[in-house]
This record gives sequence, C-alpha cells and structure tokens, in this order.
Amino acid sequence: MKSNKPSCISILVLSGCLFSAAAVSAEDMVLVPEGSFTPFFLKRDGAGSSSAATTSVHAFWLDATPVTNRKFQAFVNKHPDWHQSNIKKIFTDSHYLEHWQNQQGTVNAADLDKPVVNVSWFAAAAYCEAQDKRLPSTDEWEYTLTDNDRDTENLQKQIMSWYSVPNRELPAVRTKPANGFGIFDMAGLIWEWTADFNSYMAPPDSRNSGDKTLFCGSGSLNASNLGDYAAFMRYSYRESLKGNFTGKNLGFRCAKDAK
Amino acid sequence: MKTNLKSQLLLSLLLACSAPAFAENHEHHHHQHESELSAPGLSTPSTDSVFNITDNWTAADGKTFQLSKLGGKPTVVAMVYTSCQYVCPLTVQNIKRIERSLSAAQAGKVNFALFSFDPQRDTPAKLTEFAKLHAITSPSWVLAQGSESAVRKLAVTLGIKYKKVQAGDYEHDATISILDSNGVVKFQADAMNKNINDATDALKTLLH
Repeated sequence: MKSNKPSCISILVLSGCLFSAAAVSAEDMVLVPEGSFTPFFLKRDGAGSSSAATTSVHAFWLDATPVTNRKFQAFVNKHPDWHQSNIKKIFTDSHYLEHWQNQQGTVNAADLDKPVVNVSWFAAAAYCEAQDKRLPSTDEWEYTLTDNDRDTENLQKQIMSWYSVPNRELPAVRTKPANGFGIFDMAGLIWEWTADFNSYMAPPDSRNSGDKTLFCGSGSLNASNLGDYAAFMRYSYRESLKGNFTGKNLGFRCAKDAK
Repeated sequence: MKTNLKSQLLLSLLLACSAPAFAENHEHHHHQHESELSAPGLSTPSTDSVFNITDNWTAADGKTFQLSKLGGKPTVVAMVYTSCQYVCPLTVQNIKRIERSLSAAQAGKVNFALFSFDPQRDTPAKLTEFAKLHAITSPSWVLAQGSESAVRKLAVTLGIKYKKVQAGDYEHDATISILDSNGVVKFQADAMNKNINDATDALKTLLH
C-alpha cells in the first residue's frame, strides 16, 4: 500500500512519476501495450449464430491528448496548403477551422490548449503524416477507450452523460485524469477521427455467405452488448461521416506503430 | 491579409525556382501536345479534383504514377481486389460493358482504372494475371496497387467503405465512379447495377 506519490514534490520528480506510470515519448506519446477488446458488434459463426468477437490489437504509440489548436496552428504555419484560404475543396467542407475567427484565420489565444476541431479527415491525416505519424485505427481507438475494462460502468456513464449534452463549450485538453494507459480525454471532450472510419461494422466473417450480405446492413443488428448505446453511437457516427466533413466537436489525435 | 498573400506568392515563386521537379513540369507545360496518356501533373489541378491526392501507385507494368496521370481524358474508376470472387469480377464486367457501349473512337478517349484494395497480394504480376483473366488488353486500362494509406485515401475520397477481414479478404462497397478530364468526380453508381445507361450517358457527356 506504500504509495510513491508523496515523494513527487518537485516538478522534476513528478515527471519521473509519470514516466514510471507509462512509457512516454518526447513528443508526448504513450506506448499502449498490446491487448484485446470486444467490439460491441458480433461476429457471425459459420452456422449462422453469433458470438462476441475478441479483437486483438498490437502495441502502438498514441498521442496522450487530442491535437490542440496550438499544435494545429504550428502545422498550418508550416504547411500553408492547409490554411483556411488555401485548402483544396476536395479535402474539406466549408466549415474548415471556422472557429479560428480572426482576420488572419489563426486561433484565438484563449483556445490554444483546446482540442482542434472543424478539421476534415484529410486535414487530420495530413497533420499526422507531417509528424511522421498516422491516425489510429478504429480498433486501436476503441481498445484504448475500453481501458482494459478497468472501470467500464463509470466510463459508460461518463460517456453517456457527455453525449447527452450537445455542443457544450470545449475545455482544454488534459483537464481530467488519464485512463489506465496514461491517455487523456478519450471520453467527454470530442469525437475523434480514425484512419478507417469508413469501415464496415459488419461481422468480420460475413464473407462466408457472400458479398451480398454487405448490402443488407445485417451486421449492425448483432450487438454483443445491447446496453452499450455509447459504442453504438460512436460506430454509427463514424459510419455517417465522409472524409471532407468537419464538426465543431470533431477532432483527432495521432498514432504510430511500435517498432 | 495582403502581406500574407504577398509572402505566399513569394514563397511559391521561391519553391518554383528551387525545386527541380517544378521546373521540369513547367517545361512540359509549354511543350504539351495531346499525347494518349498525357500526364498533366504540370498545371495545378482544380481545387475539387481527385488529382490533388499525390500518393504513388504502381501499375501492372511496374511503373509508378500519380492519379494526375489520368488527366486529359475522362476516367472510369473502380476499386477491386483480384482474389475477390463475386463482386469484383462483376464490377469489371460492368465497366467492360460501359466500354463496349462506346464507339472505338470514343473508347480511345477514355481511361479505365482499377485500383486494388489489397496491397499485400495484388502485386503487379498478380494484376497482370487478373487483366489477362478478364481479357483486358486495351492500353486505355490501368490496374494499380498502392500503399495501405494510399488505398484508404482514395477510398475516402471516392466515398467507398471497406474493411479488411479475416484471411486477408475485404468487405467493400462496389462503386463505379466517372471522373472528368480534370479528375473531378462527375458520376457514381453501384457497380452491381445491371443498367449501365446512366453511366454511359454521363461518360458520353464528358466526351464532347
């Protein structure tokens, strides 16, 4: 029961504590260890019955927080192609960075540490590529959210209470405690892009019955946990997106292979 | 705002002068005569063009190209993978029906492009085999493979959903898209649709 927390008095030692809690890189990424989770949809067995499918995820690096306005501003400064006035129409709808309202199309000082929103998938992907990173896969993102089922009940409550209050003022990143992996703001702040948001949530082996099943939407009716409305909402939300969409609660964070 | 614009102009000028690739392209521009697979990577593509995506693809003949190489002619595009048993062969058959609905002269003014979902298995050799299997011999056809992220980006751009599933197969939308000569998507339809009239009409409109 001996805690080493009291010894972390100075900032230096405190950062030492963070290091001991999780592997943290210089660019504020956290190594998420390999593991598995159960997506809320079911895989179909050969006989036509269904069972919960465990999906395993390799270890990977993930940004500890969503990308902030500050960081995205630095990216735009360096890559003017992604400035509001230059971005190609095919890469966004008309609301790109619309919260950067001043004349120069830069971020307001008060918003610097808030997560960047109003960014399309293309802009998010370009940002990550510019840092030699990538967007996390949906599996990686969901696995990180489930947090090894550390506190599922609370997590679901927290998510649902957030989903139920639309469009509240965004707080800064990192204002709430990290989850068990050392990752902040997976729930309760923003929706986040994933690399393969345009995937099917259909059962993974529905090919057995031929591609025709793809057009029936049968996958969405087989849920492993019908109580997990939050997961249903996330998967449905992703399904509804297109790469050029932006949203005032839609941001992203980046990932990287663990090599 | 003004100074901002000025400095950007300056920057692009600097870039144009310093980057050899740019210089080369400019030269191309001046000498450009309509050649069959003319590759106008030269002029900046229009802002809503698919050609703004600059990922590299490898064709069945092993040559590397970017999407802008398809410029100058309308292009019929689909995403497939060669180990696909049902949807993809049908998609190819439907594109061939579109091709056959054109006169020989018209068909020569169109690109037909198949992009693979499957970076692992669809090597240029495999693509060549697939072309042979489907009696694709016309130089108007391009079959290509790209990196996982290039595939994802093209699919997102064309609004095509897909997911890699067990045993390396893919679940995917079957969509036929028609791009105009500038790479702007002008028409999309379910590739399983037996009625190709709308697609051929859309294509013929672009041939004037």
